[in-house]
Amino acid sequence: MKYTTKFDGDERCFQIERHAGVLTARIGDKVFGLDLALVGDGATFSLLVDGRSYDVVADVQREQVTVQMLGEQFVVHVEDERERAAHAVAGHKKGGKRELRAAMPGIVVDVKVAAGDSAEEGQTLVVLEAMKMQNPLAAEAAGKVTRVLCKKGEAVAAGALLLELE
Amino acid sequence: MPPFKRILVANRGEIALRVIRTAEEMGIETVAVYSDADRTAMHVRRATHAVHLGGSKPSESYLDIGKVVDAAKRTGCDALHPGYGFLSENEDAAQACIDQRIEFLGPPPNAIRSMGDKVEARKIAMKAGAPIVPGLQEEVDEKRLAAAAKQVGYPVMLKAAAGGGGKGIRIVREEKQLLEAFHLARAEAKSAFGDDRIYLEKFVTRPRHVEIQVMADKHGNVVHYGERECSVQRRHQKLVEESPCMALTPEMRAQMGKAACDLARAVGYVGAGTVEFLHSEGKFYFLEMNTRLQVEHPVTEMRFQVDLVREQIRVGAGEKVAPVPEPRGHAIEVRVNAEDPNSFFPSLGLIKRMTMPGGPGVRLDSALYRGMEVTPYYDSMLAKLVVHGADREQAIARCKRALREMRIVGVSTSLPVALRALQSTEFASGDYDTGILERIERKPPSAQRELAMLAAAAARFLVAERAGAGSGAREAGETTPPWALLGRAERLRRATP
Repeated sequence: MKYTTKFDGDERCFQIERHAGVLTARIGDKVFGLDLALVGDGATFSLLVDGRSYDVVADVQREQVTVQMLGEQFVVHVEDERERAAHAVAGHKKGGKRELRAAMPGIVVDVKVAAGDSAEEGQTLVVLEAMKMQNPLAAEAAGKVTRVLCKKGEAVAAGALLLELE
Repeated sequence: MPPFKRILVANRGEIALRVIRTAEEMGIETVAVYSDADRTAMHVRRATHAVHLGGSKPSESYLDIGKVVDAAKRTGCDALHPGYGFLSENEDAAQACIDQRIEFLGPPPNAIRSMGDKVEARKIAMKAGAPIVPGLQEEVDEKRLAAAAKQVGYPVMLKAAAGGGGKGIRIVREEKQLLEAFHLARAEAKSAFGDDRIYLEKFVTRPRHVEIQVMADKHGNVVHYGERECSVQRRHQKLVEESPCMALTPEMRAQMGKAACDLARAVGYVGAGTVEFLHSEGKFYFLEMNTRLQVEHPVTEMRFQVDLVREQIRVGAGEKVAPVPEPRGHAIEVRVNAEDPNSFFPSLGLIKRMTMPGGPGVRLDSALYRGMEVTPYYDSMLAKLVVHGADREQAIARCKRALREMRIVGVSTSLPVALRALQSTEFASGDYDTGILERIERKPPSAQRELAMLAAAAARFLVAERAGAGSGAREAGETTPPWALLGRAERLRRATP
């Protein structure tokens, strides 16, 4: 099976196969011998790559795999061939719309723009209070606010759509 | 004979457990208090008794002085330990305990009051002979703001008069940011402390945050246990602390220690307290005094082989403070917070599994357990990893090793950031300041990326393979948790001859 993995702007394709019980991974013209064993807790893996040992925790949530190894955490997007093909079809529908979403659950303590306003890059659009901290949420790039979907005093969930810009 | 019969622990999380542990060792019973959200929390399970306070919001439970003190009274407690946060620096809570003849294991109300007001504290410190950062000693309003900032000189810091814990602080580098920062700081101060007074001071260059741990008894004796260096901070909240501080000379250490003890004496202090200083280019300035046991107190405990909670309990009972032992080696603490390692935003969720570090010189203070829900109601700190080594080099190596051992699944944590800070040449050199986290590598080392991507793909392969072995439906791996698939695959394997 061929997997396309994406992490922080990097993309790598791995061809992972098992032949006669032996697991291999191919990337480009490199081939690694893999030995992967799942520990009893269901999410810890002992991974041997050409005999080198890694203690890996991988939380597989559909295509998002959160990997903890070597003291770091990597949220890796992993698609197999079939998913990749399905996404290629769906990928044509996106416009120039941008969204401001709540990075965490909290309370909207201020909305600094209204629909129709133009916002500069870095301008504070919404102030969200979470865990007693006031978190200014800024525009990632300059644009025009098309819709305001939150109001002052409102409690919002993580990922809630706050504003739309274009 | 234990100095008290029963202590009410007016807190939650790791610090409540920390106090319960020492009390148990001293033969003192404990009463835990809890909110709705904390019914199954570790401190409830580990205490001798437990009293339900009310709703999950702190104001309905841990911050409700009436409820807390009433619980202490009803359960026959003769002392109350406030921990840190919540009621620990609340003079009314201290007074309510006194009124009920319950020993408040902290300073007297007037010491809390005078040090809690940061404007007042600066005046007292100045009188006691401690150097002060240039700034405005009284609260500023919108009208005088710009003129005051100009007079002190940019960059300036806006700080909450009632502040602490990094809340209500803003650094302003130029005038056009001033007003927005002022309003943000005010709103944050109002929400965190119910007091929106703001003061202004000069933001000093290459600041290091160094603090002195003091302990005072009721007989007028004040001792100090040297310093803790707390400059590794994000969003003005400490992430890594160490002792000793590499920037201090023995003379400076003695001066700071004396200034801290003098200040404690000046306010009639009792119990554990921390005097925070700003260190900048070979000079130090008084910042504030925290009239409580601090989060990072284990750094001092590891280096001085002292149990500061035990000392708090002893001096609270009227005993004399014990002589300070000779410090040994080097200690480092890392705070493990539930937060995104890049944005530092809180990360909420269920702790699905965890692996805690061990081995020589490693101490873990935590109330974490598998199945625990990280909620928005409380502080995001999950655990404190503290290590001790014969010297700084060993302590750093040990800390890095322990961080690599530690695994928490279910929420994102600050573990990777702490590791990268410890791996940085800046930290290793010892010559760093509070800006260190802005300069360290923000991303995982590139050599590890490809490995992690390979591991992720391999994990999906194995999950799909096992799902296929069980049901023949390849897609099952995407909706069924891997442990369920494993169970299914294992059962199938056993059933097959």
